[in-house]
Amino acid sequence: MASITPVLMKGIGELNLREIDVYKTQGGYAQLERALRELASEDVVKMTDASVLRGRGGAGFPTGRKWQFLPNNGEPRYLVCNCDEAEPGTFKDHQLLEETPHQVIEGIAIGSYAIGCHHAFIYIRGEFKRGYEIFRDAVAQARAAGYIGKGICGSNYDLELTLHRGAGAYICGEETALLNSLEGRRGEPRLKPPFPAVKGLYQKPTVVNNVETLAYLPWILKNGPEWFKAVGTERSTGYKVVSISGHVNKPGNYEVALGTTIRELIEIAGGMRQGRKCVAVQPGGGSSACIFEEQLDVPFEYESLAEAGSMLGSGAMVVFDETTDFVKAAHSLVRFFAHESCGQCTPCREGGHWLQATLERILCGEGLESDIEILKSASHQLTGINLCPLGDSIEPFLGSVIHRFEDQFRSYIKQPRTKVAS
Amino acid sequence: MSKDVTVTIDGVSVTVPEGTLLVEAAKKVDHEIPVYCYHPKLGPAGLCRICLVEIEKMPKLQIACNTPVTDGMVVHTSSKNATEGRRAVLEFLLLNHPLDCPICDKGGECDLQDYVMAYGQGASRLADAKMHKPKAVDLGPTIVLDEERCILCLRCVRFDEIVTNEHSLRTEDRGAHAIIATATGEAYRSSFTGNVTELCPVGALTSKTYRFKSRPWDLHRTPTSCLQCSVGCRLNIDERHGEVLRTMSDPDDAISDGWLCDRGRYNIGFYHDERRITTPLLRTGEQWVQISWDEAIEQWAASLKESAAADGPQSIGVLGGGRLLNEEAFLLRHLCDALGVKNVDWRTGRQRFASHAARNSLAELENAGVIVTHGRPPSQMAPILDLRIRKAVSHNGARLISFGELGADAFVAEKHANTLDELRAALPAQYERIAFVSDGVSRPLDAALAGLRDELAAAGKQIVSYVLGEQPNARGADALGLVPSGGGLDARGMLEAARDGKLRTLAIFGANPMLRFPDRALVEAALARVPFTIVSELFMTQTAERANVILPARGPFEKTGTTTNVAGEILDIRAGLHAPEGTLADGEMFAVLADALGIALPDVHAIRLAIESAVGNGLQRDEAQPPKPRASTMGLIIRHIEHIFSGGGTSAFDAHIAALRPGPALLVARGEAGLEDGDVVDVVAVDGTRLDKLTVRTGNRIARGNVFVIDGLPEAPANLFADGAAVSIENVRKVREPVEA
Repeated sequence: MASITPVLMKGIGELNLREIDVYKTQGGYAQLERALRELASEDVVKMTDASVLRGRGGAGFPTGRKWQFLPNNGEPRYLVCNCDEAEPGTFKDHQLLEETPHQVIEGIAIGSYAIGCHHAFIYIRGEFKRGYEIFRDAVAQARAAGYIGKGICGSNYDLELTLHRGAGAYICGEETALLNSLEGRRGEPRLKPPFPAVKGLYQKPTVVNNVETLAYLPWILKNGPEWFKAVGTERSTGYKVVSISGHVNKPGNYEVALGTTIRELIEIAGGMRQGRKCVAVQPGGGSSACIFEEQLDVPFEYESLAEAGSMLGSGAMVVFDETTDFVKAAHSLVRFFAHESCGQCTPCREGGHWLQATLERILCGEGLESDIEILKSASHQLTGINLCPLGDSIEPFLGSVIHRFEDQFRSYIKQPRTKVAS
Repeated sequence: MSKDVTVTIDGVSVTVPEGTLLVEAAKKVDHEIPVYCYHPKLGPAGLCRICLVEIEKMPKLQIACNTPVTDGMVVHTSSKNATEGRRAVLEFLLLNHPLDCPICDKGGECDLQDYVMAYGQGASRLADAKMHKPKAVDLGPTIVLDEERCILCLRCVRFDEIVTNEHSLRTEDRGAHAIIATATGEAYRSSFTGNVTELCPVGALTSKTYRFKSRPWDLHRTPTSCLQCSVGCRLNIDERHGEVLRTMSDPDDAISDGWLCDRGRYNIGFYHDERRITTPLLRTGEQWVQISWDEAIEQWAASLKESAAADGPQSIGVLGGGRLLNEEAFLLRHLCDALGVKNVDWRTGRQRFASHAARNSLAELENAGVIVTHGRPPSQMAPILDLRIRKAVSHNGARLISFGELGADAFVAEKHANTLDELRAALPAQYERIAFVSDGVSRPLDAALAGLRDELAAAGKQIVSYVLGEQPNARGADALGLVPSGGGLDARGMLEAARDGKLRTLAIFGANPMLRFPDRALVEAALARVPFTIVSELFMTQTAERANVILPARGPFEKTGTTTNVAGEILDIRAGLHAPEGTLADGEMFAVLADALGIALPDVHAIRLAIESAVGNGLQRDEAQPPKPRASTMGLIIRHIEHIFSGGGTSAFDAHIAALRPGPALLVARGEAGLEDGDVVDVVAVDGTRLDKLTVRTGNRIARGNVFVIDGLPEAPANLFADGAAVSIENVRKVREPVEA
């Protein structure tokens, strides 16, 4: 059976990695120093590219390739670390921010060096007040130690880091909405193209990378891209912090090699609560479709999950046992997305609200026979035609469970209940 | 030169320049792709999703508004998938739409109605109650907003951001609860609010003046040019049962760029105001007596003959003309020539010159690298020209420099230069074209700038120049010779001569010198002394009140002819309204008078040719400057400033725009004399002239030592004071009690 492999999470729970001295005894900042001393920025890009590190925020786009989209037009470039982690079920960046802030800082600095950015930003979810304070103190330590500011580590490389707290909107995790918010505008996604790589923050070339993605950079530099590529599959390389929650005995963050199966991940998380049966798993955050009990041997990596009809997403796995009321679960997620819709584009704004209202009516015992078809077709027709991925996130869970557990939905309509055992 | 690409849309090939948006390419082959949020002037926003099309080799439907065509692209606008996508979007849009088309002003010209008819489904599948949102929201003095009808295309918000740069509208709340609101929560005030009603693809934004007035198919439309300022925007008169109900812009107009200002759009209520004068009036003692046109013309002709016989044509004066059409101005000049009258002057306000002899276009302004303004702000004199300035600065990277004591006040970044040296220093290193925008008031300032213009022209810079007219056809009146000739008197000379008893007949056409001439006391003394004053007017203005005979005139929508705009373009004016019975156009009055005096008039072709050849030859004349104001001994100098809605005629007699008119105000630099916004003060000159109860408004760009009063307000005439007179401020009534130290 596969096991956990702490890389980013190494030392968490044992050492106080918030202290820069402790972090340095574990080899912290050595890779930043080495990069500045020995490596050209292109070398860092090449190593990252060679590692096939993919974005850990949700989209899974290869990081090295993303960096190479930046135009060489002499304009200033910005790196923005996305720590607006708000995808339902996801809590990995939160822990990294709080427990190993220096690792995140080092990742940001290495990434910035790689792309030639002299002013990086980190956008921290508003609710992460404690994480923000810990990170802020860590940045102060890093600045005092010469890892942020002018002439880092005695080199001629300058890097400023600005911390920005969000105000609680899920949509600001979408990179262009995040950039708008960072600029002081309303947090709503921008029309693409132009992409942030061309016109991002303040209309300048910008890279937005997830916390976890950046945190892997020191390790890739330290152990080499081959080490990272040695685990996982050809296109899904390296390790991943998986947030496991739901009906398991030990919910939490577990760092594993990509390719570990869902079944193994459930075991790693202590197995099913009260020995019950797993009937469905949502493997990639609230935006992903469920896979079901017969698919538990699917490897947890990008391609296999896509093939199984879902996605790896942010790597947040929610496990459901047979006691689950999927009507309520679906309603919970639909309500979340409808509430978090920025309202800019039609299908997401109107469709989300429609689905929510319909599910609420069903839950109240006022469901109609035609509602099943509405839920299926309305969710289907709002998908794939939105401005940003939020709109396309409404359908996957609802669509997958309504097809699988249609009887649960029908039973609400046929035998109206006002109270349902949860 | 970009290369061309060929794209196939529904089987039809079209070749367009690379980078053309698919939605525009489709127009070329008459395959209209429906849009809501996209607008050619606002660009793509990608919000409404109605423009979904299927593009071969792309897995998902794409929005045509943000897809640049590429060579060989094959597009299907009505394939099964595209049709289904469009149907889905329309279903979503109608879910919570109130479907109150029967009482909606937009019905009949609504894009939602039209596209649902064309591409939507018959019945709604919504089983729940529709969401409710605020209806009839009072967004500001001009606009009412129905949040339920709104489809959140954000054209209005983007207009206020992209075009006006004022950023006063925004989205509030989010998701299905999103609504349109003003950014500050205060009323939506701007000089361009009416445009959002035209941009709104549904019936969400409506004009207060047009709400529930008509159906679009019942309106009769006449295209004309706006005569509210010297820009001359193309404008459509929408009339029903003899009444103008609304005015609409022309999206393709090269002059207006497709926009209208609120003065041009909304100042139309006066046409049907019951206070209009519709019969000639003769003053007998304190009474006005209605007389026939025959009698009026007889009186006029008799006065002219008697004056000429007694003291020669130099005892006759003609004032005004900046409000006349070209043809009318020509006829007036022709009559003067025939009678030997040399005392003619259209300059009854502050403007001294009307052009720099160059014909140009307004589009040239937006491509200037530098724009220099001096004098009263274009935002108040010529709002649509001001939008071009904003466009040049915010989109084309131009630098705006205001020169002299007034800022350009244009909602975009602006540098200010007090001296020519500062102006030179403020010029950027690189630019090809420089535009000068002035209000035509100060000859000395203009002479100073002329030196700079010559210098820049010699250095290879392209110079364009715009002199904003105080009156719509100032440039035409000037070109057509409504100026003193052969030793004739100018306006001030005539008024002084009248005051001194040397004028026997004074005719005033298209002018209100009592309110606009910068020396009200002189006008009053002159009008009191002249034995016979004849005035053509629509309303009983301060000038008309002092006439002997008033001729009831027609308004711009009631006349046909041409006008000359700020750029020297000759624009068509077409009557879209039947004038009230009893009124005549000024030109008709001149023709009748000519007939009575036995003066032959040239035919229409000759007039047109004369206009064509005259316009463009801006005249440079030497002339007496108005007397220099005395230097201030009291610390403050009073200056006159323009306001888009000021005026004593069509603007004062229009209930439509009553809420937009400024109250009597005193504009001062922030902190001047301890004054605060809202304080009420009296302004008194050395000679005791005073304006009472002015409300203080403070600003950052006002030079210290200057106080500004809005010109052209009948209730508080700024021209009681000479521009530049020394004044003091008295009787300060504080809005807030001073805090005890």
